[in-house]
Amino acid sequence: MNTRDQSICLWLVPFFGVLFLLGLAIFPGLFPPLSPTMGAEEVAAFYRENVAGIRTTMILFNVIGIGFIPFFMVIVVQMMRMGNPSRAFAYSYLSAAASGGTLFALADLAWLNAVARPDRDPQLTLLLNDLAWLSLVTPVGFIITQNLCLALGIYMDARPRPVFPRWVAHFNIVTALLMVPGAFAIVYTTGPLAWDGSLSFGLRMGTFALYIAVMFFVTRSAIRQQAEEERGVGLGLQAIA
Amino acid sequence: MNESVLNLGAAPGERVAAVPVVRNPKLDQWICYWSIPFFYVLFGLIFVLLARIMPPQSPTSSAADIVAYMQSPTLRWGIALLALTLGLASMASGIIVVQMQRMKGLSAALPYSYLAALAVAGVPGCLFPCFVFALGGLRPEYSPEIQVMLYDLGFLSFVGSLGVFTIQYLVFAIAIFLDERQIFPKWLGYLTIWALVTEIVAVPVWVTRTGPFAWDGLLSFWLGTAIFVGWEFLMCVCLYRAIKNQPIEELEHHGG
Repeated sequence: MNTRDQSICLWLVPFFGVLFLLGLAIFPGLFPPLSPTMGAEEVAAFYRENVAGIRTTMILFNVIGIGFIPFFMVIVVQMMRMGNPSRAFAYSYLSAAASGGTLFALADLAWLNAVARPDRDPQLTLLLNDLAWLSLVTPVGFIITQNLCLALGIYMDARPRPVFPRWVAHFNIVTALLMVPGAFAIVYTTGPLAWDGSLSFGLRMGTFALYIAVMFFVTRSAIRQQAEEERGVGLGLQAIA
Repeated sequence: MNESVLNLGAAPGERVAAVPVVRNPKLDQWICYWSIPFFYVLFGLIFVLLARIMPPQSPTSSAADIVAYMQSPTLRWGIALLALTLGLASMASGIIVVQMQRMKGLSAALPYSYLAALAVAGVPGCLFPCFVFALGGLRPEYSPEIQVMLYDLGFLSFVGSLGVFTIQYLVFAIAIFLDERQIFPKWLGYLTIWALVTEIVAVPVWVTRTGPFAWDGLLSFWLGTAIFVGWEFLMCVCLYRAIKNQPIEELEHHGG
């Protein structure tokens, strides 16, 4: 078995990552994010005036929205190589990653529908806008579970040469904690915990981007380690024959 | 993977990472296991006390009552807590799949179906309805029509997301009946069929607003909830025994 498939999934990360950044750069409602204190008329006017920009970003996100799933599944494969007594954490990680992806897909549909009929009742545009922002910012529980399961798997990895170094476990715990405030955008409409706030939005999105970048490199090392070990096993078998 | 293969991982002379001392060889399974009671205590706190989604508000509430319910001060705190912790349900699936894979006489198709069905179920059956309630609370300025629609959408998604759970119950029951090792007792399989039936009994919530089949009704809600609570509790007991009785030699890596 070679590791080419995993490498392909891994290299989808920079590919989709660049497209994500491009989409965000052209999204009109991001710098700064649309405030949850804007009224219906104001929000509806914003959507009316920015149909093209919102549509371009959200059609792009519709197509690439769950583009990191293959990468998360490489992490699942690497978790299954760990010296853990069972695959409980790997399966938990897989399940959490799948659930988390659906929320982003839902947010995208709400945004696209908000610009599908920009002249509809402002109350309805407001509703779609709110649903989109809440679905994007607040469901942090899934990625937090992914990170905690990965960290626990690393801490319990009994291999002489662990799949991931220990600091990756610490890193996963810290990034999980930094994403906690996102959940409270459900409660607050102003201040750092609102969906446009420095903690719920800025810190959460920044942490996620950093997390993906760091995990790209450490997962690349883990795949290389696997390839090396399997070559070693191959050579060992040849020697026996 | 056997130990000789594992040892090839460390090149000669390389500093070997300290092997963590695993005092409890099933620690990973126990962590996932105890996430279940922990999550259900939180679930009770969120759904019964903070958000008051269980027992459900009445399907015949007036618009004024609906708006008042959406604005209740603890509703959104409960839902924020849910957004933060719903991922724990994934750990419950993780441990159940590990134990289902020990069954004899069946492939991984049923355990994987269980995992996939629940990965789907969490959003329409739990998080989405809660988001819908949170929206109503976040925006008092929504028109009453929208508040009423959110209320209906929330309760109907919560009580009326049926198929995602019937498939979970179906594959679990089939697995128990086929299993030649009795990892879970046969009676849990029969109880699982009852849990499945309660989902079917709730079908009329989509049609009627009053009586035993409404979303707050005696059959649709109370019977289903009573059987679900019993099922979840007995499932936890059986799962505990299954993990406890798993021979150490069966573990993939037992710290050796």
